[in-house]
Amino acid sequence: MLEPYDDGTAEKIRHLIQTLDIANVLTEPLARSIDALLRVTAADIGSEAASVLIRDGDAGDLRFLSAIGTVSERLAGIRIPAGKGIAGFVMSSGQPIAVANVEEQSAFYPEVDKATGYSTEMILATPLRHSSEIIGVLEYINRAGDGPKTPFTPDEMDRAGRFAEAIASLVNAYESAKLFRDLDSHFIDSRGDFALEEIRQWVTELRTGAEHREMMELAVMLRELSGRGESERHLVRSVLEALLRYTDNRNSSSFLSLDDLS
Amino acid sequence: MTAVSGIEEVGNATRTTFFQLDDDWRQATGKDVSIAVIDSGIDTSHPELAGKVVDSVEARVDHKKVVFVPSDSGDSAGHGTACAGIITRIAPDAKLYSIKVLGAGGIGDGLAFLAGLEWAIKQRYRVINLSLGTTKPQFFAPLHDLLDRAYQAGCIVVAAANNLPQPSFPSVFSSSLISVIKSEETDPLNFGFRYGEVIELTAPGVNVRTAWPGGGFRNLTGNSFACPHIVGVIALLLEKHPDFTPFHVKSALYSIAQENLDNIRSESARSSSEGAAGRPTQ
Repeated sequence: MLEPYDDGTAEKIRHLIQTLDIANVLTEPLARSIDALLRVTAADIGSEAASVLIRDGDAGDLRFLSAIGTVSERLAGIRIPAGKGIAGFVMSSGQPIAVANVEEQSAFYPEVDKATGYSTEMILATPLRHSSEIIGVLEYINRAGDGPKTPFTPDEMDRAGRFAEAIASLVNAYESAKLFRDLDSHFIDSRGDFALEEIRQWVTELRTGAEHREMMELAVMLRELSGRGESERHLVRSVLEALLRYTDNRNSSSFLSLDDLS
Repeated sequence: MTAVSGIEEVGNATRTTFFQLDDDWRQATGKDVSIAVIDSGIDTSHPELAGKVVDSVEARVDHKKVVFVPSDSGDSAGHGTACAGIITRIAPDAKLYSIKVLGAGGIGDGLAFLAGLEWAIKQRYRVINLSLGTTKPQFFAPLHDLLDRAYQAGCIVVAAANNLPQPSFPSVFSSSLISVIKSEETDPLNFGFRYGEVIELTAPGVNVRTAWPGGGFRNLTGNSFACPHIVGVIALLLEKHPDFTPFHVKSALYSIAQENLDNIRSESARSSSEGAAGRPTQ
């Protein structure tokens, strides 16, 4: 068994980790992949701009996670309240829709255009799903090029739905990585002490999607319980195993398999 | 005249019957048929919708319960107004009731949507336009229960299908509601019925021009715009046959769709035979 360091080595390693910025090692490749996929898929759909909005808090608000197009940088940080605008509707309803403003010039959710100076004439929006949760919205905006501004077609809507599956997996990975990154920085800041109370407080205040936050809460709880001693670890393990068996059984005995219906 | 098949209860047994559906419903306007639009609200000041929306309510949370209060906040997303515009073009004299569950704020989406459906059933609106859905398994059972209650109360629930990889509720509950998927058809009365499929009806849903908040119009694509087309058609049927149950309505839609299909087939047979007759011979 290794002897505990007593010459400040632990402190040095901690410092090294901070310097390496391990946080961005986790999240940046994912963020870049999301951007790259947005670019490739927007070219396929034939749209001028595209963006990924993700859920911000439990009420269904959205914020821009990633965007490509002329005003993409101005979108960062803009939030759309729950149920507002096309994106808000798609988020709340889970229904993909395409809207074309072919007759007149007036904005959709004017706040976004006001903030960016962009003129939205056409939107194709489809939900981003992870498991049974809607975690955000994928939007393709305006027709690219100087040709006729033909509305987005049903075929493009179907393709956008398939792109959304790929992008949703990346968004989910990004969100999970970001949580672990932020948790990691909390551990470092608290100089190695597991300030569980503080971490728990931090987790409850996160404005991330419920499924990510709950996963983090579980992880923190498990960390706390397993630190209390061997008998507690055994107890937690047997309770969790029983729970797993129960949910396995419940799923397999469902009278109606949804897979048959899709 | 359309022959509609049905089942009649005779004592403890059932027997198959047929009834004749006059074509007069095609001239109907949906007069006095109440239609609930559970959505993002309706812009009642839109010229196309003036005087058509009888009442607007929106979901609020009061002591941890969802309640419905009178609403004057209009439409937060545009979708509800778009659906209302489609319905009134087909059934201009129908009475619309806006139940705003989106953009009301502070309520989990699925919960507000369930509460809105329950509210509509309690008010006994004859037709319920439901362009919303959920994929969350925890809503499966409560939605199933509500739809059964709607069926028993004689409320006809029409839901937009969700053509995503995952099934969404309630559109997969094919027994107690009518679910609709978009087609490229433009004539609202020329809808299709796909018996045996989970999503049974097809209706116009591609590039549909309809009302948009602020007095304008938009061209819209999506299953959620196919749904109000069928709602409008049902309003026409119910004006002429106010005693129709959800079962009658579904049977009538099935028979009309069969007739539509027959017309398309005979039309194309006629045009191909005319084409053959007109072909120059050597």
